[in-house]
Amino acid sequence: MAVIDFRTYPVQVKELYDHSPGLRAPVRDIFGFYCSSQPLLTLIRQLDAAGVDKAVLATLDCTTAHGAAIVPNDVLAHLVGQSDRLLGFASVDPNDTAAPAALDHAVGTLGLRGLNLDPALQRFRADDERAFPVYEKADALGIPVTFQMGLNWAPRARIADARPLDLEAVAATFPKLRIVVAHCGWPYTMEALALAVKYPNVFLDTAILFSGRPESSVAAVFAGQYGLDVVEASLRERIVFASDYPRVDPKRVARAVRMLGLRPLTEKMIFGENAESLLNRKPNQ
Amino acid sequence: MKSVVKRLAVDTERDVELINITDKVKEAVAESGVRNGIVYVTTMHTTSGITVNEGLPDVEADLLSLLERLAPEFGDYRHQRFLPSDGQMAVNSCSHQRSLLTGMQVAFPIEDGVTVLGARQTIYFAEFDGPLHREYVVHAFGD
Repeated sequence: MAVIDFRTYPVQVKELYDHSPGLRAPVRDIFGFYCSSQPLLTLIRQLDAAGVDKAVLATLDCTTAHGAAIVPNDVLAHLVGQSDRLLGFASVDPNDTAAPAALDHAVGTLGLRGLNLDPALQRFRADDERAFPVYEKADALGIPVTFQMGLNWAPRARIADARPLDLEAVAATFPKLRIVVAHCGWPYTMEALALAVKYPNVFLDTAILFSGRPESSVAAVFAGQYGLDVVEASLRERIVFASDYPRVDPKRVARAVRMLGLRPLTEKMIFGENAESLLNRKPNQ
Repeated sequence: MKSVVKRLAVDTERDVELINITDKVKEAVAESGVRNGIVYVTTMHTTSGITVNEGLPDVEADLLSLLERLAPEFGDYRHQRFLPSDGQMAVNSCSHQRSLLTGMQVAFPIEDGVTVLGARQTIYFAEFDGPLHREYVVHAFGD
């Protein structure tokens, strides 16, 4: 079983800017990341240090809201092609009626494996039916959709615009569509939990970052708020490991999950099996 | 009087490690043309160090173990929070502390164009928050 980091962003990768120097502006001004770049080798070695085999590189298309994508899908696909350790998740702009076609192209032609959306930053409501054609397309393509929920470090995003309960209509309308609630929606963690225990197509991820170390924030939610008995009983098939690198290093989030002291089988599912299941769903399955 | 600065890079592989850079320093001194003077080796980062010790794996392991005891991974630290100026979590206080304990620079004499090192002295780049692409400077200064 491969260990998979279900969400990283390539915003610190030097090769990204070698290829597309103009992306420094959206990364800085829209995404809110200001550190100097590192070679792709650093990301690969960060994965090694975390015991991770493969990582999802994700992006966000904020064209309507802020005039640009963090990383265009074709550039992301190019970067993914630099290493067999990488997978790519596209983003499309749900405010654009051409978004379903763009997603079709990103998956069918560019080979990207999922969709990443951020209602607070992209400025749409997840439960607005104008976004539903995007979900319908994702469902038809058999790809998972990650929604950034809760606390959002991007300076232009508003936290209250990303409440997990906004996803209930999506989960109910598209029961086969695999939905990942990023960050367990912190601080709306109980909303995320409610969705995950009610809807079999709702998943949570481990990138729970607010303050303190990931080792404490991850434990605060899974052990403190949810309870490890709930994780074992109801969530072991519904949690995927994600670091949100470079917001934080994968090694620290991986250690945080390992320090929870979950059953070995549960840990194995969180670190890879659940992600593989999401990635390998066949269209219309 | 010459002042020759050479910037060198190393791609570290682990969270914490000591990397032998002795030959890199010697080469930089030899290339500098400085015959008699001093060489400074300086890290460009605040979560790494430059140090000197005996080049044996067991010594290296014990030194890292010492630093991990003195500045443990988990502690009652303030530097473990989101850093808005970076756009990322700053949760590496122990790395900064290990850097402080190790030091950021060493110096050796240059005599007749050669770095004067003791027989058991190895110069290390010390990584405390890897893996990362790192830089250090070898500054040869003299006649």
